[in-house]
Amino acid sequence: MAARVQLPKDIRRGQVISVQILVQHPMESGYRLDADNRKVPKNAIRSFTCRYNGEEIFRAEMSPGIAANPFLQFPTLARESGELEFSWVDDAGERGSHTAPIHVAA
Amino acid sequence: MTTRREFLKISAAVGGGLAVGFEFSEAGAAQAAELTPWVVVRPDDTVIIRYARAEMGQGSMTSTAQLVAEELECDWSRVKVEYADTNDQVRRKRPWGDMAAVGSRTIRNSQEYLRQAGATAREMLVAAAAQQWKASPGDCRAERGVVHGPGGKKLSYGKLADAAAKMQAPKDVKLKDAKDWKIAGKPIKRVDIPATVMGRQFYGIDAQLPGMVYAAIAQCPVFGGKVKSVDESKIKGRRGIIKVVQMDDYVAVVADNWWRAKEALKALPIEWDGGKNGEVSSESIRQFLKAGLDAQQDVVTARSDGNVEQGLSGAAKVVEAEYFTPYLAHSTLEPMGCTALIKDGKVEIWTSTQNAEASHATAAAVAGVPLENVRTHRTQLGGGFGRRGGSQDFVRQGVAIAKQLPDGTPVKLLWTREEDTQHDFYRPVSLIRMKAGLDASGMPVAWYSRVSAPSIIATLLKLPLKEGVDPQAVAAYADQPYEIPNVRIEYAQRNPHVPVGFWRTVGHSQNPFMRESFVDELAHAAGKDPLEYRRAMLKEASKERAILEATVKAAGWGTALPAGVHRGVAVTEGYGSYTAAVAELSVNDKNVVTIHRLVLGIDPGYAVNPDNIEAQMQGSAVFMLTAMFWGEITLKDGRVQQSNFNDYRMMRLREMPKVEVVLAPTGGFWGGIGEPGQASIAPSICNAIFAATGKRVRSLPLKNEGFELA
Amino acid sequence: MERRRFLEAAGGALAASLAPRPLLAQAPPAFAQSADSQALVKRATRGKEARVGKVKLDLPLLADNGNSVPMKVAVESPMTAADHVKTIRLLSERNPEWEMAAFHLGPYSGRAEITSRVRLAGSQRVVALAEMSDGSYWMGTADVTVTLSACVDGTG
Repeated sequence: MAARVQLPKDIRRGQVISVQILVQHPMESGYRLDADNRKVPKNAIRSFTCRYNGEEIFRAEMSPGIAANPFLQFPTLARESGELEFSWVDDAGERGSHTAPIHVAA
Repeated sequence: MTTRREFLKISAAVGGGLAVGFEFSEAGAAQAAELTPWVVVRPDDTVIIRYARAEMGQGSMTSTAQLVAEELECDWSRVKVEYADTNDQVRRKRPWGDMAAVGSRTIRNSQEYLRQAGATAREMLVAAAAQQWKASPGDCRAERGVVHGPGGKKLSYGKLADAAAKMQAPKDVKLKDAKDWKIAGKPIKRVDIPATVMGRQFYGIDAQLPGMVYAAIAQCPVFGGKVKSVDESKIKGRRGIIKVVQMDDYVAVVADNWWRAKEALKALPIEWDGGKNGEVSSESIRQFLKAGLDAQQDVVTARSDGNVEQGLSGAAKVVEAEYFTPYLAHSTLEPMGCTALIKDGKVEIWTSTQNAEASHATAAAVAGVPLENVRTHRTQLGGGFGRRGGSQDFVRQGVAIAKQLPDGTPVKLLWTREEDTQHDFYRPVSLIRMKAGLDASGMPVAWYSRVSAPSIIATLLKLPLKEGVDPQAVAAYADQPYEIPNVRIEYAQRNPHVPVGFWRTVGHSQNPFMRESFVDELAHAAGKDPLEYRRAMLKEASKERAILEATVKAAGWGTALPAGVHRGVAVTEGYGSYTAAVAELSVNDKNVVTIHRLVLGIDPGYAVNPDNIEAQMQGSAVFMLTAMFWGEITLKDGRVQQSNFNDYRMMRLREMPKVEVVLAPTGGFWGGIGEPGQASIAPSICNAIFAATGKRVRSLPLKNEGFELA
Repeated sequence: MERRRFLEAAGGALAASLAPRPLLAQAPPAFAQSADSQALVKRATRGKEARVGKVKLDLPLLADNGNSVPMKVAVESPMTAADHVKTIRLLSERNPEWEMAAFHLGPYSGRAEITSRVRLAGSQRVVALAEMSDGSYWMGTADVTVTLSACVDGTG
């Protein structure tokens, strides 16, 4: 479950930035048919969390009502440089995580 | 009248169209006043009534306008019907609501807001006149396009329109009772017919733009397969060839005229990868469905009353049968196609579509532009029958091909007849097991049906099914009206690789054939008259009973027939209407069927245009007789074997029997017209064939059962 | 459409034209299924009503299919420790799972705005429900016509 994160280029302290993440996951609806026209079992990322230097700054509960390869863009207040840590778990119990450095100019 | 040549010249003169086209909403505002999104009045008293849905010969363009005009109290001779614009639809946030002409629901779903629109505009005109005369609106009345006031004052709608457009729209309007109708309910001539019969009709295929190029298309002959390779060198240097477009599952050749594109495509070596579907045949599909009839798993219950097992085990007699109906193609006379122009981030398309909003949204998605940057030009359809609604493959392709060409190049994609026949979304194949238990008097105490068939909703629309049941697959079973204490209807969803879609009358195009033929089998097993048998199972006050009685009365059921002539009867409900059919036919020793008379009854609740209803019933007979005598799409090596009208036969003029329509509207509800007429035809014919020959038809088409149509 | 009228539409030279008028009360109904968005809301709030306002839900008017529909929701809030949006929920009238998503925010978010892509099982009204730090609920809605599903929509 790979992910891609995008942050603004020049981030200054106190700025509200948009964090963008795209996670590769089928978010199976439970009613999609495969190439042989058989139902594919439901499997969605249910819980998604973003931590900023260890502190939770965003959490989402999701369903197959979020499209495949879920894309999320959410805001956060830039405080200091460090790391964004993303983690998630799906219906099959599979966990995924991703980290991205964040550089904040004073 | 603009001739084709003039049209070309003028088209050239107005140029590429986008800039002009997108401004037309602001131009000339002084010349016409919009009272509601549906009603526009011009100073010369012309009343423009907008039409949101598609016109494909089903007549709704006229009958919806009749409903508006009825409440508007306008002069019908001054009415012009125009398509609502899809770009305005988006920019104005859907003032016209649903634009789809599908499911025989145009009148059913829009009658109320259309009549309200007419009444609203009328009230605004009356209010404008009253204001001008300083009179009370209550002292003014509208009649035939003129508002009459106190002291013999009068003003025509055209004179009042500007002022009326500024009036507040009334919140509540009272709608007329159908018994007071003067325009609705009358057999008014259809507005689209003169252009059609004079050859002036504009279909999607007629789109012609300056600088236009043409695309011919070849799609992977095995459904779901891909393009493996294309050898462009083989057509290099051919005259007029502009581009070869290679996509995942199709190849298109673009040329300066369509013939060159098509011929080059024919000469172009394309290697396909059909995958394992390349082994599928009609026989393997039949086995697949057969397994569905016996399966314990992946089967759902669509209806369950009482206890079928108990009913069957306690029955004096059990009757069992298997029925089969094949895949069918839509075979619209106008093949699929789409003309597309992408310029400066804006897209215009011209296409015959049953759902202009679906075409519009598809064009926007494929081009990657906002909905506001698209215009879908409306045209009459050269046949629809469900092919041009639920799937917008032709728009997807047309816009995708335009995207591959230099900005501003209009391209007309046009399928060949062969592509059209082999790349349809077919009426689903279906195999059904029936079992019924009869009591000592011969009446059914238990009824069991299992349907093994694909699901259109799951495969084409990719939508979830409630409780796993596709309502179309079990239509006419799950909602069957007969009084039987123990009923179970099961559905085994089995999806071969063949794409399925909505074919006129959908589930009711096949299930009533099976249900009503099986009821005949039961009547025969009980030694009873098939009409009396049905009467005994239908509530006296039911709509089914009423239309059955009206139809058999008109047909003279029970009266003596010439030697060798036999009758069959059937009754069905669907699309909000009730239909029945009586066939009179004879079968000679070579199994040639002569249909002497087909009596078709319908109760649509309210009849908005009786003449059009009659035409739809007659058209239903053409469509269903064609399908039941010859229609079948068969598969070999994963491919459709039929290709053109030589092997996918249409009924000929001389083969058309006499059709008598019994229009028996009982009021109080609004039923559909375009589709329900087909439902009762096949069983009435097959039941008459049984009466004539003793042979029970359990599989269509009839040509495979050895029968021909005289 | 006759060729002549087609010309009008294509060229605009003769076309009648019309400044948009405000929608009438008698406009076609949006969705038969959308009779009561409050019922959905009450399921989510366990009985509390939500006020209409503060929440702006953006979804396209038309979607050619429901697989991946761009969605943006924004809530008016200062996003301070004393006054902020705690949760934004997306509720569906027609999806097999009516609770599409819940996004949890706080003063650290800076603003209340989420962008994503949703999956819609057919034409419907989607509700965005915001729970504020003071316990109040606010809502906004958007109607989406999934054009592919028109064939099975009763109205729409």
